[in-house]
Amino acid sequence: MYLERILSDKEGSASRNFFLSALWWSLLGMGAGLFAGMEFSNPDLVHNIPQLSMPHLRMWHVNAVAIGWLSMGYVGTMFHFVPTLAKTKLWSERLGNFTMWAWNLVMVGAFCTLLNGATEGREYAELSAVLDVLVAVALVAVALNIYMTVVNRRVKKLYVSLWYFLGALFWFPLVYIIGQRTFVALPGLNDAIIGWFYGHNILGMWFTTVGVGMMYYLLPRLTNAPLYSHGLSMLGFWGIALFYAPTGTHHITQSPVPEWLKAIAIISSVFLLVPVLTVLTNFFMTMKGKWQMVVTDMPLRFTVTSCIFYLITCTQGPFQATRWINWYLHFSQWVVGHAHLALLGTFSFILTAAFYYSIPRLTGREWASQGMIRAHWWLKTLGFTLMMLSLTTAGLIQAAGWQMGIPVDQWGLSIRPYWFLRAISGVMIVLGQFIFAYNTYKTLYTKAPQPVALKAEVKA
Amino acid sequence: MNGYRLGAIGIIITFFTIITATVLLPMVLFNPKPSGHGNNYTLTQVADPARGRRIYVREGCFYCHTQFTRLQDRGYGPLVKAGDYVYETPHQLGTARTGPDLTNEGGKFPSQWQKAHLINPRALKPGSIMPSFSFLDDRDMNDLVAYIQTLGNERKVTAYVEAPVEYKPILARKTVDTGSDAAANAGRGIYTQNCAACHGLEGLGNGPNSISIEKKPANFTRPFYKQYPDDFWFYRVSEGIIGTRMPRFGETLTEEQRWYLVAYLKTLQKNSEDTVDKLDQLNKVEQIKLPNLSGQRWEPPSGGD
Repeated sequence: MYLERILSDKEGSASRNFFLSALWWSLLGMGAGLFAGMEFSNPDLVHNIPQLSMPHLRMWHVNAVAIGWLSMGYVGTMFHFVPTLAKTKLWSERLGNFTMWAWNLVMVGAFCTLLNGATEGREYAELSAVLDVLVAVALVAVALNIYMTVVNRRVKKLYVSLWYFLGALFWFPLVYIIGQRTFVALPGLNDAIIGWFYGHNILGMWFTTVGVGMMYYLLPRLTNAPLYSHGLSMLGFWGIALFYAPTGTHHITQSPVPEWLKAIAIISSVFLLVPVLTVLTNFFMTMKGKWQMVVTDMPLRFTVTSCIFYLITCTQGPFQATRWINWYLHFSQWVVGHAHLALLGTFSFILTAAFYYSIPRLTGREWASQGMIRAHWWLKTLGFTLMMLSLTTAGLIQAAGWQMGIPVDQWGLSIRPYWFLRAISGVMIVLGQFIFAYNTYKTLYTKAPQPVALKAEVKA
Repeated sequence: MNGYRLGAIGIIITFFTIITATVLLPMVLFNPKPSGHGNNYTLTQVADPARGRRIYVREGCFYCHTQFTRLQDRGYGPLVKAGDYVYETPHQLGTARTGPDLTNEGGKFPSQWQKAHLINPRALKPGSIMPSFSFLDDRDMNDLVAYIQTLGNERKVTAYVEAPVEYKPILARKTVDTGSDAAANAGRGIYTQNCAACHGLEGLGNGPNSISIEKKPANFTRPFYKQYPDDFWFYRVSEGIIGTRMPRFGETLTEEQRWYLVAYLKTLQKNSEDTVDKLDQLNKVEQIKLPNLSGQRWEPPSGGD
């Protein structure tokens, strides 16, 4: 039956389909990022092709990796993790698969519109009205599915990951709907205030909360150790719930928006150190005595790398938000490095870990090649470290240029080499992602199913 | 179960409190009135700046160019105020300065320069990494340039750096009537000899030297300069501008010559910025062959014919 193929209700199919779609969009999104990066070091690379001009590629890159790769992967992860934690089935696989199609439709629409410049001109909310509505519908459908799964659970207590997932699925649809401003025209600075409320909370109320929930799930499972402290995990959760939402205005601390709003944003940004350090203490104490496992266990290695990058990005963030550091560093490539540290270093790594962890459990096939997973980790880690270092250095040079009043085309020449290094790092990361995709293809489509020897699962 | 209900209520209350405080409250409490300094796109012109703004949004210029000046920015014109942005929807404040700030870009360069720069940025600024926008058709290009030329034009400066105390006696013994045609005529020759090499014959800031100067020479035709008082002109001419190539003409010109120069400089301002409908009246800059106004890629001059 067509219905069975398109809207399958086979257990785990929605999760698997979300994962595979995420992987597909990651190739296009990261590829676009690489191409845009190459245009930074070689601005005359393409001529007269509007679809390949840097700003259009950037719009597509941001939306493809944020809405396509990370968000779809997150939904796939939740569709697998939440039923496992609730010891029940997903409420509706059909609805899950329907959401998957709607989401892919959004991404196809985004691909066709953004590269042609059909944008609303709002950073991180570029998608046009129809696509915005579709995303909102898909998010509500995902939230309904997950909430109903938890309602039907067969365990009494909710593990901390579920707190994060349920919190994120309450916050993010609202943040998304508030943040789009599709049907309202607000005066410029009010538009900016809401824009950055959205721009920062897509990270804080979605990528961070779901990502941290995934870390809470994966670390104890992969190390076979109980979580260090449930009390700390609750402190971390409430800290994020309280301090993350108001931070948005720290992106425009030097523009003429009200000072009290800036003060709220900066203070809560600094207070974010509390939940972050709590969460990470919990993770690293859970890892105690288990560190040698990262040598052999690839999903664990991805998870731990992600935790370490999370530590770096969340130490940078609060300091960058303070007025004096912001005064110097704002507008520079440092910020681009910081953004990649959060989304690529932390959340893309944790999603990759969840991907490597889940696919064998969802499909019953063991990964075709461990060597390719290793290659992926090395390429992604080394590539990303190179990207981070080059962007940070470029950012410092650039910030000095702005402060000294040196014209752009002067310091522009002196950071070209760093932009070139960034392009090389992009090649490494995209290559790693292609190896990842090839490994997935080989695992799922070229081998007969093998029963997987799953590890004894710890009671979370 | 009760614990989770409490938790859920906690999450909902926290979230909506934060939304109220940081999203709804600013919408209610923060309603700046138009300062009269921001652009109002209802003005009708031959090329359409309002449509140009949509091109600016479509081409994603705001990913690299900001539109707000900060306290520490030098050389980007007056500081912005909250009321300047009332008509700016969607906002184009920008997040990164991979390129220069465009808050007060209007009138800094002739429209023809802007157009050539959009088509081949590196021909005019060798270190630039701006992508070429040669794919824009004539109408898009004209509207975009018209929009760029409106940026900051309404932003009037009301306070100037005043001439220091040492200048008071010099200013007091002024002998030239700077409002008279005769004085302006006398100043014209002084301008041509001393200023035109950088500021251009018509004061557009496009003299031959301007190509190689880092801080671009001022464009005296901007309506903005009408507000300079005589004393300030005199002070600027005499002392030059630190950090730029503008020399101290106090060293080479006599007091009387400087006053004649001031009289001439005051005649250069126009009532409005040059927009693309007046392109034919602009001086062509011969050193860089200007492109035809079409979507074709412009080839840089090869040297010979």
